[in-house]
Amino acid sequence: MLADFQQALADLTASPELCMAVKIDPSLLMRRYQLTDREAGRLEGIVRHPGMACSCMVYRANRLAPLALNTPRLCKALGHDLRAVASDYWADHPQSNVHFYVEADRFCRFVRREIARGRSFGPEVGSALEIESAQVAAALRESHTEAA
Amino acid sequence: MTRPTVGLLYNPVSPLLIAQAPDLVEYLGVMPDRLWYDFGPNAQGRRFHRTLGAIDELRRCAEGRLTAGHGIGLSLPSAMPLDEAFVDAVAELAADIGFSWFSEHLSVFITPKGAVPNAQAGLGLPIAYDDEVYGIVAGKAARLRQALGCPIALENGAFFTPVPDPDMTEPQFLNRLHAEGRCETLLDLHNLYVNWRNGGETPEAYIAQLDPAAVIEIHLGGGDDFAGFYMDSHSSLTPEPVWETAFAHVAGFPNLRAITYEFQETYYEDLADGLIPELERMHELAETWAPRRRLAHAG
Repeated sequence: MLADFQQALADLTASPELCMAVKIDPSLLMRRYQLTDREAGRLEGIVRHPGMACSCMVYRANRLAPLALNTPRLCKALGHDLRAVASDYWADHPQSNVHFYVEADRFCRFVRREIARGRSFGPEVGSALEIESAQVAAALRESHTEAA
Repeated sequence: MTRPTVGLLYNPVSPLLIAQAPDLVEYLGVMPDRLWYDFGPNAQGRRFHRTLGAIDELRRCAEGRLTAGHGIGLSLPSAMPLDEAFVDAVAELAADIGFSWFSEHLSVFITPKGAVPNAQAGLGLPIAYDDEVYGIVAGKAARLRQALGCPIALENGAFFTPVPDPDMTEPQFLNRLHAEGRCETLLDLHNLYVNWRNGGETPEAYIAQLDPAAVIEIHLGGGDDFAGFYMDSHSSLTPEPVWETAFAHVAGFPNLRAITYEFQETYYEDLADGLIPELERMHELAETWAPRRRLAHAG
């Protein structure tokens, strides 16, 4: 069905790992989604297209944009951990929110939760998170520009 | 019909450029999605909060200029119902600013199984050009036209991975929408260039399939190379091959109303010296429209 086809394409674009898994075992698509044979064939063709790597990169760049714009110190403090943290965050929140402050606020909450669970990061992460999460929260409040 | 207008896709630095060259900017394409904060359908209280200062500034810039809306958030090809609250918000802005038409993208931005309609896929995804998707797009375009009270256009996308095994080509899909009175075409010439640079068909081959009467607006713009691909990043002036395509075809679009340059505002300082010459060249392009049209009528 079309809804599953579109969702599968979005999921593949968000996950190079899923693309690789489908390349190895195309039947995975039919197990995860309700697809016609034609839709499954189309997805398999897309996954094998050389441009798919670029789609995956652009997806990650687009999702990184609100985080880099609104939490630059936190991103810098995360350093080499940023790749893994961002990937985990996107897996946890597979859809981006169009409101950049909501997206950044959600990311800050995610990092805070990871720290609370015992995940360790570089020494600057805690202070960067405190400062920028407060700034993002304030910007989010101010974006309520009109009466409810 | 007069020659097409020349203008910009409005962004936060557009007022600076308009102040420098007010006579060169006759038209503004306005993205409603950039003029409000969308708290989503589950928001407590009001969902859309307008960026009031930005809208006031837009009103000042729009005075005496043709305007049209250019949206990204409705995702017409998505296999899900139209976001009616979003449509209402667009309609409110369209009435306020006075949009002469409204365009959207021929791409999937919102995935059907997402939890909330204002969450996006993170990228404009390609669509399958078949009857099922056609029915969805045609129905939503008709509804949108009814709600906004102005013509609707759809823009061809820039894709790295076209959907294989289509029933029709993208130009055939757009032609059918036009022929059945559903909507018109916003032809992004830079997107054609992007697709060609990344292994797709040539812009010439694409335009040869397109009904020229469907085209009411064209987009110009520039991009850059990244990781072996050419990106539609709106980071540069219009590349020379795109100009060549534009000069070769503009006169052949009898219903063309606007020639629009789009750039990302974060590149404004890098582009600043080139923007006025870009607009001047767009005016030269617009001037090529009328003579050939008169000749066509004379013939």
